[in-house]
Amino acid sequence: MSEWISVFKRGLSIDNPLTVLMIGLCATLAVSTKFEGAFFMGLAVIFVLTMSAILVSALRHVVPEKVRIPVFIVIIASFVTVVDLMMKAFLPTVYDFLGVWIPLIVVNCIILGRAEAFSYHKPIRLAIADGLGMGVGFSVVIILLASIRELFGSGEIVFLGTRLIGFPSWYQAPNIILLFPGAFIIFGFMVAGTIALNRRMGARKVQTSQHCTIEEGGRS
Amino acid sequence: MDRANATSGQMVMAVVLTCAVAASALSITYDLTKDRIEEQELAAEVASLEEVLSEASEFIAVEDSLESAQDAAGEADIGAIYRAESDSGDLVGWGVRVAARGYGGPIRMVVGLDRDGQVTGVSIITHSETPGLGSKVLESQEFMTQFGGWDGLDIDVAAKGYDAVIGATKSSNGVRKGVLAAGHVYAEVLSALQEGGALDE
Repeated sequence: MSEWISVFKRGLSIDNPLTVLMIGLCATLAVSTKFEGAFFMGLAVIFVLTMSAILVSALRHVVPEKVRIPVFIVIIASFVTVVDLMMKAFLPTVYDFLGVWIPLIVVNCIILGRAEAFSYHKPIRLAIADGLGMGVGFSVVIILLASIRELFGSGEIVFLGTRLIGFPSWYQAPNIILLFPGAFIIFGFMVAGTIALNRRMGARKVQTSQHCTIEEGGRS
Repeated sequence: MDRANATSGQMVMAVVLTCAVAASALSITYDLTKDRIEEQELAAEVASLEEVLSEASEFIAVEDSLESAQDAAGEADIGAIYRAESDSGDLVGWGVRVAARGYGGPIRMVVGLDRDGQVTGVSIITHSETPGLGSKVLESQEFMTQFGGWDGLDIDVAAKGYDAVIGATKSSNGVRKGVLAAGHVYAEVLSALQEGGALDE
């Protein structure tokens, strides 16, 4: 069980897909203008990551190496389409906001990267830990980024039509926070924060995990 | 099975089987969500129509005039035209669903016109304007309400006294283009349809 927990934790700390591995950034920067969008994007990614991790891991003995990528892509694309249809049916307003970024989860490197590096080589139990850990790590970062951007960039956070918190009306929200430069600046601070936090927690050097995670995970 | 040295037959099998299972799972999901998605899309459109034509209780799609309406609209895309009727079946006005180019892509909106051709309101369905810039235009009450009262029969004159939002001129113009197109459709197609209908009664 302790192995399960340590695999799960890696996605949140030393192998965080966004702030450490820095994969899947395009979608993150694009949809993090609204807390609501980021929240459901996070849920969608957790679902797709975990479900595809389970399937890839379950099929790892019967899928030949040479055709593994097409098989992974089909599995991932199927789960993404399920999310896409469900969201269109039950959360149309969120779907309008996320738009093309939901189908684009298929090509999000986090999911294919983890299938390739982890799930294809590990038992289902650990693949679930990795999928959940990576998904939650992704969600925490994107939700935090979106909360900061929405709060300071538009003066309030609105979730499914309800105003959660907001500044009084004298606050003149600077537009730059909602635009791409704002995303990069805030994200930069979050990366710095993660590095500092990982160092303080005595994690192994961030530098090595950044470059070696995929090969290392793949061959271990 | 040795996954590193699989025969081509095994490889083909693996891919074909995965695809077959995926396809059937997807068709089931599609079937389960299809009705609900159609419902949602229709509800979104009806909600927009009700917003701009609050007196109407029923919207009937007009299909046979779409082509001539498209000719009248020019570069904007006419998606649908609705005849808005009150409880008693009287004509209250017209709803025109139109898509016009903004900054980030087409802005889809519903423009309502009353039976004299005056614009009753504009409601945005979907858009892809820059969040925080162009999108603010579409959320701005002040901007969106200025179209109310424009005369559809003389829409080019009305459109001259129009205020775009600073910093988001293209998004503002997108909405204006949509309203202009709806005005032209009224002037060239719907007003004639209305008179024809009056004669029938």
